[in-house]
Amino acid sequence: MEMLLMGACLSMFGLAVTCLAFGAATRPEHSTAAAAPAAELKKEMVKAAAPARFFVQQPIVPIAAHARVPLEALLLQLESHVRLEQAAVESFLQTPTSALLHSRTVSPLVN
Amino acid sequence: MVKPMLKADLLNGLNEEDAGRVMALAKRTILTSGAELFHLGDSAESIYLIARGRLRLTLPMQVRDREENVLVEERVPGQTVGWSALIPPFRFTLTATAPLETEVFALSRDALHAHFAANPLAGYAVSMNLASVIGERLQLFQTMWVREVQRMVEARCA
Repeated sequence: MEMLLMGACLSMFGLAVTCLAFGAATRPEHSTAAAAPAAELKKEMVKAAAPARFFVQQPIVPIAAHARVPLEALLLQLESHVRLEQAAVESFLQTPTSALLHSRTVSPLVN
Repeated sequence: MVKPMLKADLLNGLNEEDAGRVMALAKRTILTSGAELFHLGDSAESIYLIARGRLRLTLPMQVRDREENVLVEERVPGQTVGWSALIPPFRFTLTATAPLETEVFALSRDALHAHFAANPLAGYAVSMNLASVIGERLQLFQTMWVREVQRMVEARCA
């Protein structure tokens, strides 16, 4: 009888250990408090590494500011921008350097 | 009025006699202020040398739900416009408008081809000048494009 009870106890203990081991093996990573910030960081890194879609999204332009400008003034700004860009480009073509290629413009459309 | 045109960019390198023969093919046209010389998409039959005034080359752009012709380039006396007349598919890719009274000399493609077939040296010189005009446009716009892309990259990485 004692042997039988000891065997039953050992079986129950073995079953409990097996259940704990199974639970630990199948537990998802984000369920732990410590793993949560790491997962967030990983997501952000993936987002940052995603390639930018230059030709799909519109460039960031301060539209709200331009919306207040009358149409005629906006067209003049566009024309002025084109002239300034051409002047900058002609300067680059005279002396092609990386610095002149990306020289800053005073055009209000991009500032 | 033809004589000053002998120094036009398209005739660079030709002697006075050869340049005079090319200009003899030209038809003089006066554009009043605001007149359009050619329109985007039109069939391009002639190339133009500007003798006096100015030409605005524009492209249509949507600005606040309205289509506006936005300046792309401005050409002055001695310069050539409308080289689409010599480059397939012979369609203008810009609109040219005179902002003030402007005088141009039109050289038709057919007349030039016939003349150059008979005068290959003149044809070579004009072709080289045309390549130079087109090359300048290419350099201008590829550089402007790279500058815009650079700004786009900076805006996105900011």
